Amino acid sequence: MTEFINRNQRQLTWLLYALAAIALLLFIGDQLAGKKAARIVQTLISGVLVGGVYGLVALGIVVINKASGVFNFAHGWMMVVGGMIFWSFFTVSEISLAGAGLLSAATMLMIMTTVSYRNLLERRNLLITAGGTVALTLLMTIGGIEWQWLHALTGTFAGAILTGLAVERFTIRPLIGQPLFTAVLMTLAVAEVLHGLTQIAWGTVELNLPVFVDPQTNSRFKPIRLDGLREALDGLAIIRVELVIAFVLALLAFIGFMLFFRYTSVGLAMRATSEDQQLAQSVGLRVRVILAITWAVAAFLASIAGVLQGGAVGLSLNISFVALRVFPAVLLGGLESITGALVGGIIIGIVEQFGTLINSSEQVGTNLAPYVVLMLVLVIRPDGLFGEKRIERI
Amino acid sequence: MKKNCILLALLLLILSALPSLAQDMMDYPSEMTACEVDLAGETINIFHFGDLSGPFAFVTQPVVSAVTDAVNYWNSRGGVCGAELAQVYEDTGGSREAAQSTYDRLTSQYADELDLLLLYSSDDGELLREQLAEDEIVSLIAAGSIASLYGEDGQTPGWLYASNPLYINQFGSFCQFVAASPEIFPDPVIGFVTWPFAFGLAGMEPAAREYCGGLGVQVLAEPQVFLPTDTDILTQVQNAIDAGANIIYTNTIASGPALIAGTLADLGMEDEIKLAGFNWVMDTSVGILGQRVLKSNGLPSVDGMFGSMPFLWWTELTSPAVQFVYQQFTINERGPAEQNIAYLVSWGVVDSIIETYIRTVNRVGSLDAVTGADIRETVESMDYAILGGLYQITYEEGMRDGTMNRMAVLKYANTTMSGAATGPDDAMLIDDGAGGKLFVPIVVPLTDFMEVPQLRG
Repeated sequence: MTEFINRNQRQLTWLLYALAAIALLLFIGDQLAGKKAARIVQTLISGVLVGGVYGLVALGIVVINKASGVFNFAHGWMMVVGGMIFWSFFTVSEISLAGAGLLSAATMLMIMTTVSYRNLLERRNLLITAGGTVALTLLMTIGGIEWQWLHALTGTFAGAILTGLAVERFTIRPLIGQPLFTAVLMTLAVAEVLHGLTQIAWGTVELNLPVFVDPQTNSRFKPIRLDGLREALDGLAIIRVELVIAFVLALLAFIGFMLFFRYTSVGLAMRATSEDQQLAQSVGLRVRVILAITWAVAAFLASIAGVLQGGAVGLSLNISFVALRVFPAVLLGGLESITGALVGGIIIGIVEQFGTLINSSEQVGTNLAPYVVLMLVLVIRPDGLFGEKRIERI
Repeated sequence: MKKNCILLALLLLILSALPSLAQDMMDYPSEMTACEVDLAGETINIFHFGDLSGPFAFVTQPVVSAVTDAVNYWNSRGGVCGAELAQVYEDTGGSREAAQSTYDRLTSQYADELDLLLLYSSDDGELLREQLAEDEIVSLIAAGSIASLYGEDGQTPGWLYASNPLYINQFGSFCQFVAASPEIFPDPVIGFVTWPFAFGLAGMEPAAREYCGGLGVQVLAEPQVFLPTDTDILTQVQNAIDAGANIIYTNTIASGPALIAGTLADLGMEDEIKLAGFNWVMDTSVGILGQRVLKSNGLPSVDGMFGSMPFLWWTELTSPAVQFVYQQFTINERGPAEQNIAYLVSWGVVDSIIETYIRTVNRVGSLDAVTGADIRETVESMDYAILGGLYQITYEEGMRDGTMNRMAVLKYANTTMSGAATGPDDAMLIDDGAGGKLFVPIVVPLTDFMEVPQLRG
């Protein structure tokens, strides 16, 4: 018997996993058996839509990791900063010219000095900086409150670029060549710094961010009611419009980044940098610039996610915790996979919702189910569903 | 800026509706005990710490503002019996480790002076309960848990004293209200949809279910929990409804009640399912955040939400206590977001601290001689109307929490500010500063103050 076990240890392990999976599925099936079809459909819809937002957050984390190998623990706070900047421009009828000008100038200066501060000594670069500052300031301040979307989008774009570039320039760049773990720890420090700065700038009060508002009623869009399916589903299922918008935006972002990474020279350079920074540098790639772009892009993605999340439930410091809930999605999809971020986000969204449907009193949906699924997937595919399998030669 | 506009407009409206409210500086509303000992040259520190930057910061930040304003108020009038008032506070960010280290540091740095401590959260209360008893430090708290105030057995009063009734007792008084109002709540079945923290689940104890059951109000055994970061809680709300709930009770704050109310409106069930909660659901933040979703009658989704109101509210301006706090709020140019429960009640807490010190010093003869045990003796003998009537504290016979509560409903003001709006057409709408309009939330008391049932087991 002992010999049999020793000889077939691997197969027996898999058999145990398979039995556990079957038992889990039987348990879930039993729990769902008594539920109306409408509840199952509703849960699936909610899971997919919420998962889309998770996917967008996961994408920001993956982009950084893909280019630099750093797992960014500050992503949640970058969401908060982006959301707050959007709020500042979106809900204020008269934008401060000085404030907008300062933000624009800081952003342009950071962009123009990405390679070197000496760039500013060139007249052409100075003119570009000044021109960009004036253009951004105009876009942020032109017209009244009826231009709030333009103000907010421009302000958020500039704020995100500034945040991303500043984080890269002052915290990550000095660590190039150092162990990756140091950079990961640095992102923890960055998270706390952003936390503190956010609190100083915007306080701690939960803010209403009315982005998903029907202009006719000045309230949130009415959900789509699937009344036509009421009989077939034995109940009502609804689709919340703001979650659909968030989902569509997330999908567009994914498509954009898939194309960006695959077909643009910057995207290819980012992929090369992620493989080996020193090698990339040796073949003439500007690692500094690539890393800077990556952080700016991630900060922009975080800002979009912050606005979507803040618009759906309100803007508070709590939305930083969404990033923590997304970690299983990132690991599930694969740390370096764009597709994996989306798929992982949707899977975790669905798993959370079904976990909640089965047992909401013990937080099965948020505290247990995503991690059980993550464990099962990692056992089968240690690099995640779409992660790159790495072979270390020794 | 936007919120400033809203609240400034709101304040102007209230003031214009009450021309009798004098703009002269009001007298302090409490009739405090006369000082028998001159404390000139001494300092009374008000010690407090808690989460000022973590998940509950938006509730607790106004505590600092109110204590600051109260300290300045007293010092500008010669202090307390001549002693200068000061505050020593720390932000622990909601971390237990930080709360512990702050406590350790304060008790060591102010070993001879720290006899009275203001805490914010039940979690900190539970963490420090035994240490407070050991160090003989009295702690005041807004609303502690059973474990923090009375120990795990619910029968061992400690050194923490809450101003509000325990949440379980607030829930019990809600059950009383439901049982007495069959026209509003026919065949009542209560389901909890709430946050999973200690206070979120208060009221889910078997004793509360048993008590409510005895009144003919069924309480579902399984709570439906969600997190402050949840975007969609359709599943939780539908779980409760499927289990038979026609009343949803929640111990959440800010966007929590708004999210539940919005979900009910999305489902078209806002008239069938009633929404209620503990005292924090009546906060200004809920009235503003709850306007994202409108009900079928055109009013915000949280319109008609029931809640506990164990103290007077900002709109009860006939009370000198409220008039006074309101005047101080205005004079100190506090932001609209601070016009909440924490600011209002914190003025009351400072009032109770001052009264406690005056009585204790009168008895023991000097500030230096005051010990935690002396403070405790004073607190337990007090039957005191805070600020002359904001709320009442009585900690006799082993009580450690407030004993009085009343029920109220969250509504929105009508155009004349004389009552609640019945629809958007007769609702007071003010400019939100961003091109939109906002309804003006008001709290309408439904009952008189009544004793809460004691359900801690």
